[in-house]
Amino acid sequence: MGFNNYFGPGRTNQNPYLKSPDNKVPMKLYVPHIGHFEGLEELLAGSDNIYAVYMAGSPEYVGTGRTNLSAPKLEEIAQQTEYAHSKGVKMEIVLNSSCMGGQHLTPEGYRAIDWYFDKLNSIGIDSITVADPYLVEMLAKDYDMDVVVSVLSFVDTPQKAEFYEQLGATTIVVDPAVNRHFDKLEAIRDTVSCKLKLLVNEACLYQCPFRYAHFNFFSHANGPGPKPNVLDDYYYYKCLSLRIKDPQQIIKSPWIRPEDLKEYKHITDTFKIGGRTHFVNWILNNVEAYANERYDGNLMDLLDSIKDLKDTFYIPNRELDGAIEQWKKCDKVCHKCGYCKRLAEKVIYTYSGSGEEIRKIPLGSIGDRT
Amino acid sequence: MSMTQELLKARTSLENNLRELLGVPVFLIEMDAFALPCGCGGVTINTRGLQLDDLEVFEEHILKYLTDTVTSLDIEPSFLFARLIPGTSEIASINARVLCNSCYMDFGRGSGKQPRPDIYIMRFDRRE
Repeated sequence: MGFNNYFGPGRTNQNPYLKSPDNKVPMKLYVPHIGHFEGLEELLAGSDNIYAVYMAGSPEYVGTGRTNLSAPKLEEIAQQTEYAHSKGVKMEIVLNSSCMGGQHLTPEGYRAIDWYFDKLNSIGIDSITVADPYLVEMLAKDYDMDVVVSVLSFVDTPQKAEFYEQLGATTIVVDPAVNRHFDKLEAIRDTVSCKLKLLVNEACLYQCPFRYAHFNFFSHANGPGPKPNVLDDYYYYKCLSLRIKDPQQIIKSPWIRPEDLKEYKHITDTFKIGGRTHFVNWILNNVEAYANERYDGNLMDLLDSIKDLKDTFYIPNRELDGAIEQWKKCDKVCHKCGYCKRLAEKVIYTYSGSGEEIRKIPLGSIGDRT
Repeated sequence: MSMTQELLKARTSLENNLRELLGVPVFLIEMDAFALPCGCGGVTINTRGLQLDDLEVFEEHILKYLTDTVTSLDIEPSFLFARLIPGTSEIASINARVLCNSCYMDFGRGSGKQPRPDIYIMRFDRRE
């Protein structure tokens, strides 16, 4: 893909999914938005393939379980929602704190959150993503907005999906930990009648030991407070360090390549791109890759949580063609299988040097680091 | 003069200029030179006590001081910006960065002063 594609076509008309008379557009893409009006204008001007955008709300009420670059006030959310709707794009607000320290269960906490939901409802927000089951039920009971169960509710089984559906979920974003467990995805699909959404490029470690602690930390750091005055983000540093020492972890991480979306269309037609802390250019590059179901560059360009390693590793995305066939039948007993380890040695390169003088060194030639 | 001596001198001089300009004890708590694997390089100056309002009102003056500072360090002042603490008017750092081609595309896509909510651009020299 050349640079022209980074810029994408100008948005010339309404969302094609909404325009299509028979709704036979292949997928609905939920796209991250960095949170300010300029960013939204740029984003929607850059692609016709955006079905919905999502952004965080104000951290004063619920907060969010991921890092965030903005804290839009209600009037800003209203202005942006109106603009998105004028372009035929839906607006989703993400309030997916995984830990609120019980504040939401206090009378004051409940009243503040209820007030905030009411305002968002009046603005005309299409959907709200939450992680706490209490907020799922509260939203479903009292408001018209679609209730989306966050990835941070960790729905990875049909039983859990059923619980959330009974609480009133309109959509469940399945835990990416099971993105390569097709049996579980199919069981979830067969168990619930609500919509399912798959997050394609989160790229967290498979079976990450830091997952709950890290999201809880973010939730407090990006929530109503008191905010922790931390020294460093231990979990993030450790996450990167583990991958540098053992690059097969990048392959095992349950991302979905643009080319492999077709393998998931019997599960859902709705896919979510992660990355609300990146530049619009980065987001649009992802949108075009997933909309076209093809990316000819470095897979690292597309991955959200490990963007800081994009100048460390080069993984030619197209060399991963066909790997999904193994993952479809994989029983995830890595020490017996070794497929991802062999694949990592074959396809991953490390960069050496910088700028114009950069070189790619095959990982295989460095030898076994594990 | 060694690189560290130059950095020390530049930090003190810029801090004095900002204090004089704003009339408040702005602190430049750390000035770091950096080189990134992508090919970007420059300096980051971590600040305390500097706010977005100060920048908006005195942008012309602050831009001149920053340009003089980075030029004295032999850094091309082609891209000068402030990093804001998201959701607040606090400025976390002011920065000079000589962009690699890849990062140039990230910053250069938009035309406004805030390509992301946490970045406020003071100077951006567009390439042909």
